[in-house]
Parts: sequence; C-alpha cells; structure tokens
Amino acid sequence: MNLTVENVDIFLGAKKIVKGIDLHVANHSFAALLGPNGSGKSTLLKSIYRVLEPRSGTIYLDDLKMKNIPVKEIAQHISVVSQFQSNSFDFTVKEIVLMGRTPHLRALERESSADYQLVDEALHKTGLYELKDRSISKLSGGEKQRVVLARAIVQSPTLMILDEPSNHLDIKYQLEILHIIKKLGINALAALHDISLAAQFCDYIYFIKEGEIKHHGKPKEVITKEILKEIYEVECEVYEDSRTNNISISYYSI
Amino acid sequence: MISRDNSMNKINVYIVLIGLTVLLLFTVILGISVGTLKIPISQTYAIFMEKILNLEPSNETYSGVFWTIRMPRVLMGLIIGAGLSLCGIIMQAVVQNPLAEPFLLGISAGGYLGATIFIILGSGVLGAFSGLGLAFTAFIGALSAAVSVLFLASYKSSITTTKLILSGTIINALFTAIANFVIVFSGTDNTISRVTYWTMGSLSSAKWDNLLLPTIAVCAATIYFLTQYRTLNAMLQGEETAITLGVRLNFYRKLYIMLVALLTGILVAACGIIGFVGLIIPHIARALAGPDHRRLIPVAVLIGSTFLVAVDILARTMIENIELPIGIFTAIVGAPFFAFIMIQKNYQFRD
Repeated sequence: MNLTVENVDIFLGAKKIVKGIDLHVANHSFAALLGPNGSGKSTLLKSIYRVLEPRSGTIYLDDLKMKNIPVKEIAQHISVVSQFQSNSFDFTVKEIVLMGRTPHLRALERESSADYQLVDEALHKTGLYELKDRSISKLSGGEKQRVVLARAIVQSPTLMILDEPSNHLDIKYQLEILHIIKKLGINALAALHDISLAAQFCDYIYFIKEGEIKHHGKPKEVITKEILKEIYEVECEVYEDSRTNNISISYYSI
Repeated sequence: MISRDNSMNKINVYIVLIGLTVLLLFTVILGISVGTLKIPISQTYAIFMEKILNLEPSNETYSGVFWTIRMPRVLMGLIIGAGLSLCGIIMQAVVQNPLAEPFLLGISAGGYLGATIFIILGSGVLGAFSGLGLAFTAFIGALSAAVSVLFLASYKSSITTTKLILSGTIINALFTAIANFVIVFSGTDNTISRVTYWTMGSLSSAKWDNLLLPTIAVCAATIYFLTQYRTLNAMLQGEETAITLGVRLNFYRKLYIMLVALLTGILVAACGIIGFVGLIIPHIARALAGPDHRRLIPVAVLIGSTFLVAVDILARTMIENIELPIGIFTAIVGAPFFAFIMIQKNYQFRD
C-alpha cells in the first residue's frame, strides 16, 4: 500500500512537534527519515501507525483515509518495527514472532501450516532460528530487536514502518536488517540515524528538523555537505567511495 | 519469575491438564468427606451413586451432609477459585502487569462496599434478600473501584507498577472506610457480625440456590476469555505493539475491565473478600504452562479450583469445631508469596 501524509500537524500536550509535513512512499520504495534527535521523526511515525492522532492533516493508505480504516485491517497492511517494549511476561521467541499473524486470524481460527512456515522463514531470515525456543528475557538487546523485525515480517505487510530499527545492533546486523527490508520489496519508511547506511539502502530521503521537512530527494541529491550542515550543524565532507560506490561522510572535529 | 528455557509442547500441556483434573477430583472427594462429621471415602462413592440412581440412601446422615452441606460448599470453592484466578489473569493482561489482582487493586473492596450498602440499607427496603440485587450492587461497587484505580494510575502519565499498586491501596482504603462507615452508622448487631465475617471471606453460606449465579458467571467468563487468547497475548506485548497488531486496545481494555468487575462483584457477593488467589494462581500457572493464554487459562482455572477447595478444607478442619474464614488462609499463603515476588531480583518492579 502506498502511504501519503498530507499537511500533518501533531501536538504533544501544548507543544507542536510536527508542523505541516507532507510525505509520500510508493511503488515499493524504501524511504528514510533523517534528522537530529527531537526533530519529530518518531512522533510522525507514531501518528502513521496510529498510536498518536494528528491534530490536523490527513494520512492516506492508497486512496483511503487511514482514520476510516478499521485497526485490524490497517494491521494487515502495515507492520511496525520500533524499540522492543520489555514486559514481565516471558514468551518464547517463536511465540512472539507468531503473534505477527494476529491481524490475519479470526478469534478462534487456528494457525495454519502456512502461518508456521512464514514464522520459520522469518526466523531464518533474521538469524533467530536457533534461538526460537529461547525465552525473550534471555536475549540480548540486538536479538530482541531482530525478534521484533521477524514479527513484523510475519505480519506480511505491504508497508513497513521502522523507528530506528538498527539501534542496539552491531554493524553486521545493521546491514542485514536493512538488506532484508530492501529485499522484501515492499514500501518502507524508516527513521534512521546513520546517514551513510540510509544513502546506501534507501531510494528516497526526507530530512526533518524542528518538525518540518527541510529537504527531500534521492540520496545523492540531498546528502551534501551544505544540507548536513543545515540539519545536523556539523561540518563534513561528502564523497563517493570509488570501491563500494557508496556515499561516504567524513566529519571535521569541532 | 520462574522461567522456562523451552516452550512446552502440546503433549506436555495435555499431561498437565489431565494431572490437574485428577488432582482436582481427588481434592473434591477429600473436601466432601472431611469435616466435623467424617464421611468415609468408601461411602462417598456409594452415596453419590445412590443419588444418581435415585435409590433410598443407606445412611441418612451421611447422605444429608453430603448433599446439603458439603457438596454445594466444595462446588462453591471450586467455582470461586476458578473465577478469582481468571480475574487475576485478565487484570494482569489489561494493565500488562503480573501484580494486578482484584484484591490488591481494591476491586474486591469496591464489591464489598456495594454489597454492604445492599445488605445494610437495601435489603430492608427491598424486603426479601435477593441474590441478584446483591450481586448487582457488588458489581457496581467493583466497577467504580476498577475505574477509579485505572484513572488514578494512568492520570497524566502511563500506568506503572508503583502507581498501580499505590492506587489500589488508596482505593482499597477509601472503599473499605466508606463501607465501614455505613456499617457503624446504620448497621444492627446482626448485620454487623454478618458483614465482618464477610470481609474475611467464607464459603460457609454456600447453598445449592446461591451457587447458580457464580457458576453461570464463571463458566461463561472462562469460555469467553478462552476465545480471547490472541487478543490477550497481544495485550501483554505492550500498548504500541497491541495496536500495531490490529487490536482495538481501548475497546477491549474497557470491555475486559467491565467483565472482570462484574465477575468480581458476583464472587464477592457470594463469599466475601478472598484475597491473593488472583495473584498466586496465575504465577504458578505461568511457571507451569508459560504466558500464552491459550494454555494459561485452562491450567490456571484448574489450579485455582483445587487451591481454594484445599484451603477451605484447612479452614474447616484446622481447629476442631471452629470454622475459620478462608480469607485468613489465602492471606497467610498469599502475603509471603507477594513478598517473595517483590524481592525476586530479576523481577521488573521498576517503572
């Protein structure tokens, strides 16, 4: 499903966090939301996955207004990878991943073998298969993060929302997670911290600061030293690495 | 808490369920045979068959005690134990906190207040004592306590364990105080002693006719919540996750709280305040069957039934010719258990 965010304002208490943002994710593309801490990235994403309600503006899934679609139907199309919410209930990895099927099953419907196959595939993709019977409290932060990703994959979304999915992960899994998402071939919108990784994996980039989209475009168009200076207030050089063909950023010390 | 390394497979769950059922049957038979008048276990089978086959009882005394006193009482214990355990599990899922329980959160106290008002003020007005009216006022009390606790605990910020327990304490104190005020102000000696005994919980008033409402309520609630396992499991994953998994969180939270309050009201109306069952039993059940509600609910319901029937046997037989309120025993077991949970190191008691 294509996502369109139109002129959205979000308040937290009396404070306006997101100011008139327009954004569009379509045609199986992977879009990144980049910006400093507190710029409103998470807040915007939360309104897309309906934990927060925008004060004004409209969010569309394809042509439908999101607020007119039942929660369960939305969950059949959108899955979310955010920070793992720890709790005191000790489910196993497999049980949690299987919960990704929740929106696709009716109240008493049993999980079919197809559902279990999706779970196994996702466990393999995220490198968790060996840990499937482990209880969640025994996993490291990075492993928990991969459990959340596996659950989001099992949900079979056509749009995936990710809020800093690669926090807590070492570089191997950061690359793997972004690679997995890219390979799913669905629409994805991710808030990311690492500009180089975003440039490497994403098709489109939105730079957000103080609740507004300041610049957007293809990675090579918008990741420039001028824009990075404006958004992050750091001096740097941006160049293309001749061996990997990736954008590389080198920062000056202050 | 006690954690498992491997999830339990289906066969193990069935073995556990069969084992628990056998244990429950054994406890029920024991519950029928022991007491002031001891019915030999060999006789219980004979008495049971005589009644089923509609034969003339071979021993009038045994048969009378069996059918009019012991049987309804044991069944009441079974039903109440199952119901309280279920209430605990559902409350815990709703607030995503394994310490939630109708007694600790003051919901039982709400039921107590409602019931007290009915007994002392209402039954005079309405004349005949009506079980339904009592259950209804207890429900209203329990519901207002539940709503107050959740409002207090979630006021201006999200629910934390500390806020939840403190809110429970506050509501518990307030509702109990109001109830006591009503008692002192307008109670008669007769009603006062009845209400006092009731605050400690007892199955002694169990009769066939007041067994019906709790039985229907507990059975219906158990069946309903068994169909809700997927929503309950998603709830345990936290608010955000539940919503992104397509659960109408606010709707189900409110619905479940209403149902728990209704059930608590009915249980409190039937046998007073019996604390800690909703805390202890779900913990033990989780250690046995894991947190998945598909397995947890049947296991907890069976353990809860067995536990309360067993505790009632203790309450009846510990001191000869004196019957102790059952709430005393559940608190004697429950309070140290609560302390044990609290000091468990890996337990998340922080916010």
